[in-house]
Amino acid sequence: MAPPAAVEGVRAAFAAELRDAASSDDLQELRNRYLGRKRGAVTALLKSIASASPDVRRDLGREANALKREIEEALAARRRGLEATPARKAGRPDAGADRDPAAASTRAGTDARDLGALDVTLPGREVKLGHRHPLTVVREEIEEIFTSLGFEVVEGPEVEDDYHNFEALNMPQEHPARDMQDTLYLEAPLSTPAGRPGTLLRTHTSGVQIRYMETHEPPVRIIAPGLVYRRDTPDLTHSPMFQQVEGLLVGDDVTMTDLKGTLECFLQRLFTPDTQVMFRPSFFPYTEPSAEVFMSCVFCRGDGCAVCKRTGWLEVLGSGMVHPAVLEAVGYDSERLTGWAFGVGIDRLAILKYRVQDIRAFYDNDLQLLEQFLL
Amino acid sequence: MRVLVSWLRELVPVRVGIDELADALTRHGFEVAAVDAAPEVPGRTAHEPDAVLDLEITTNRPDCLSVLGIAREVSAIFGDPLRYPPLAPASDAGAEVPVTIEEAGSSGCPRYAASVADVRVAPSPAWMAARLEAAGVRPINAVVDVTNYVMLELGHPMHAFDLDRLAGRELRVRPARAGEAVRTLDGEERTLRDDMLVIADGALAQAVAGVMGGADSEVTAGTTRVALESAWFDPISVRRTSRRLALSTDASYRFERGADIDAPVLAMRRAHALLTEIGAGSPRGGIVDRYPTPRAPVTVGLRHARVRRVLGIDVERDFIPTILERLGFGVEPGPDEGGGATWRVTPPGYRVDVSREIDLIEEVARHHGYDRLPSTFPPLRRPPAPRGAALEQRRLLRRVLTAGGCSEAITYGFIEEAAARPFVQADEDLARLKNPLSEKFAVLRPSLIPGLLDAVVYNRRRGRRDVRLFELGRCFTGTHGETAAVAVVIAGPGAPEHWSHSRRWQEGERAGRVPASDFYDVAGIVEGLLDAAGIEPSFEAADGAALSWLAAGRSAVVRSRGTGEPGASSLGYAGQLTPGIAAARGLPAAAGDAVYVAELDLEALARAGRDRRRFMASPPPRFPAIVRDVAIAVDRTLPAAAVRDTIRAAAPDSLVDVRAFDRYEGAGIAEGQVGLAFRLTFRHGDRTLTDAEVQRTMQEIGTALRTTHHATLR
Repeated sequence: MAPPAAVEGVRAAFAAELRDAASSDDLQELRNRYLGRKRGAVTALLKSIASASPDVRRDLGREANALKREIEEALAARRRGLEATPARKAGRPDAGADRDPAAASTRAGTDARDLGALDVTLPGREVKLGHRHPLTVVREEIEEIFTSLGFEVVEGPEVEDDYHNFEALNMPQEHPARDMQDTLYLEAPLSTPAGRPGTLLRTHTSGVQIRYMETHEPPVRIIAPGLVYRRDTPDLTHSPMFQQVEGLLVGDDVTMTDLKGTLECFLQRLFTPDTQVMFRPSFFPYTEPSAEVFMSCVFCRGDGCAVCKRTGWLEVLGSGMVHPAVLEAVGYDSERLTGWAFGVGIDRLAILKYRVQDIRAFYDNDLQLLEQFLL
Repeated sequence: MRVLVSWLRELVPVRVGIDELADALTRHGFEVAAVDAAPEVPGRTAHEPDAVLDLEITTNRPDCLSVLGIAREVSAIFGDPLRYPPLAPASDAGAEVPVTIEEAGSSGCPRYAASVADVRVAPSPAWMAARLEAAGVRPINAVVDVTNYVMLELGHPMHAFDLDRLAGRELRVRPARAGEAVRTLDGEERTLRDDMLVIADGALAQAVAGVMGGADSEVTAGTTRVALESAWFDPISVRRTSRRLALSTDASYRFERGADIDAPVLAMRRAHALLTEIGAGSPRGGIVDRYPTPRAPVTVGLRHARVRRVLGIDVERDFIPTILERLGFGVEPGPDEGGGATWRVTPPGYRVDVSREIDLIEEVARHHGYDRLPSTFPPLRRPPAPRGAALEQRRLLRRVLTAGGCSEAITYGFIEEAAARPFVQADEDLARLKNPLSEKFAVLRPSLIPGLLDAVVYNRRRGRRDVRLFELGRCFTGTHGETAAVAVVIAGPGAPEHWSHSRRWQEGERAGRVPASDFYDVAGIVEGLLDAAGIEPSFEAADGAALSWLAAGRSAVVRSRGTGEPGASSLGYAGQLTPGIAAARGLPAAAGDAVYVAELDLEALARAGRDRRRFMASPPPRFPAIVRDVAIAVDRTLPAAAVRDTIRAAAPDSLVDVRAFDRYEGAGIAEGQVGLAFRLTFRHGDRTLTDAEVQRTMQEIGTALRTTHHATLR
């Protein structure tokens, strides 16, 4: 019959503490805590015998008393050991512990019986783990960065209506900027979880931001990641479907310098802390002033190479101050509020981060590529 | 826009080197994509460095689709004066060509200027031809080249008609008649619609307004008199026409972005000056200018304080009016407002992008310099919301699936129709694209499986045997619209090979080989997913018609046990893919090689799942369990789930687990029967069970199995 668990627990705890005891003061402290009249753990065990159920009472009594004797002996043995080697430094009591029967019996590696040798160089049984897609790895990293900066992650439908993809973003019908994003249209409208039937595949996730503002009071602090679609023929750097993340900050005191600071923080965390960020004027219908954002080339660290066309800079993001017409379209007060927004292709960031040569490789789903990514 | 630097120098001093000029333009929003060598012009020696700047002009800045526009920016950047090119004097003489803007054409053409010139049609001088070529425009003859030169220099498109080939020697601006045809300069016969604007003579359309002239009135070697057009066409009308005709020209590109409505007469005078200068012609009479409702200048207020609010920096007060004036804006000081300066700003006609304060703030920011914006961090004004349930759900599923050995795939949202077709019941359930990129991307995926299957094929073709992939993504059908799903596809060996398999898999397995994945592998993955979501799964044999892409008898509908009564809506399915579908996608045929799939609806999963925030632990059991096995023989078509349900129904609450651990057909089992064995675990929450009471329960279970399923106890 195995000793009751309570006894075994006290025995193991004592053995561990005894190993760490380095002075006679330590030993006295141990005695008090295990055998002391008031707070001793073994004393408590012995007291519990009276209230134990009849079927365990006998075993508990026998084992608790045996443990009490063991502890008495172990403490005495250790005290003798300390006296014999007075120069030993505190904290290294191993030599003494080895001579201690109570401690030794709890330790592995002292059993000299021959169990038969193994070829320990043969491979272990593989625990086969799957890998996240590299675009997910980057996307989740981006989500983590912005979550830590106080942004909420918001999603929306991939099939979108004209209003949320274009019109509310200051791109009415016949606006030349619509050419910037060649759009794929559906033959027939499709219902979406967002309500209004969708007629096209979203060309950006900006519609998510519009919906969010339509249903939430400012301040707004969100990112909107997701798949977007454009009528681009696939090549090394273009895919007709890719992942994007857009960010939106709207409030009483949001400025363009905040945009620069936030994007700098984002890129430095995603790449390296010494990443430099540069803004250049650009145009998007939904932001003004607009900026293209460049970061120091990850390949040459800004010295100039073929990838950055000898400029030392890589274009990674589009951004700007939210156009007042966009705020007005969702019923916000464009005089009281200002905001900024940005958009970035996750595929592009993944290409730069992992030095993948061809964007199409992300959609081949070749396990030889997927399995390279750290879990 | 390709700008020759020596041409630019005629309009503004360029005191910096080419590289510095290119860099300055790039930093002010005009990206120099390339710096190309300037063309050689015979007889002209360059005194200063020259080059062609290939500039990217954003759609909001049509005024910079010209040497003048770029010169104006250079003037503003470096503070040097802008020199307007020489113009012919304005004349009071009447025009030699009557111009009529018909009422129906007036909205599309608020301004139309025309004049007549006597011309000698010959090649342009070498310098002019070289400049056109440097800008990417093919020289044609001196008259046409002058109109193109003016467009490149001032940004205003012009057109020249052979006056003697215009019926009635007149110009009429009117809508096209529905079905009216015109042969354009590119030789194409074009059929017009009545919402398109044309320039006609007394009889026929002679040009598509703002897009392209007509071949019938083209300037040719025999032309002696031309009617010159310098007009302003409505951007939306031009864009619509250009798109409908699939015809984009240098003129339509500028008009649809917005030309300068103040420019037509200036452009005409510039053309007259050039015709005279190169000896290609001389104006006859004056310029007719049909401009019934001149543009009313608008005034836009600008507040110094607002500049600060938006940009987050203090821009020196005096910088603001200075830079705006250099860019051609009229600037008047306004009353101080709230302690800050204000201005009343009048944008010039060529700045079609400026109509409100923010547009002016952009100008200030651009010229003040984006490089001078410091980095600050926006304060958090409100606690951020927790991560949304859908995002959490996908992260959880991803964790479970990767831990289960499946790697994540991302496949295209649009697929080939042939790949999609097997996964819908009716043709109209497919969501087709109106303008697909190609046949390969023609319909939105009704299921994640076709994309994943293609990924399996891709890996197989590269010699990969064991493929386990999953995807989290959206699906699209006419019936359900856009939905979110998780899908798993597995094929090949169920585990990596290991040297110990030769010992562990003895009978029937070749040493070292791992058995192929089968239905129960995919079922196990689904069970794991549901377990993670807090759902107790219930599988039931699928009726073949509903899941037609799965092999008959080898597919299951997956439900939550809580809502698992027949008729409850399903969470999804698991099963073996019909081999024909895999073969049609090019899966290399291999003996016994099957593809198993599962797909679950994420919203249904979320509804059925346990609310993780309300989860509470229960204490580990304090009393020992008693385990008993029951082995029976039943009809081989009886689902194991039915037996399990009978066992559960016959047992008290102390039955905490029922697990099938053996299924056997063959020796010792009657024909048509199957041997099933279950391991039952009993445990009571408050006391130790006795052998005797469990024995009684086992007898009751035995009775129930005999009566319900005609089971033989073994």
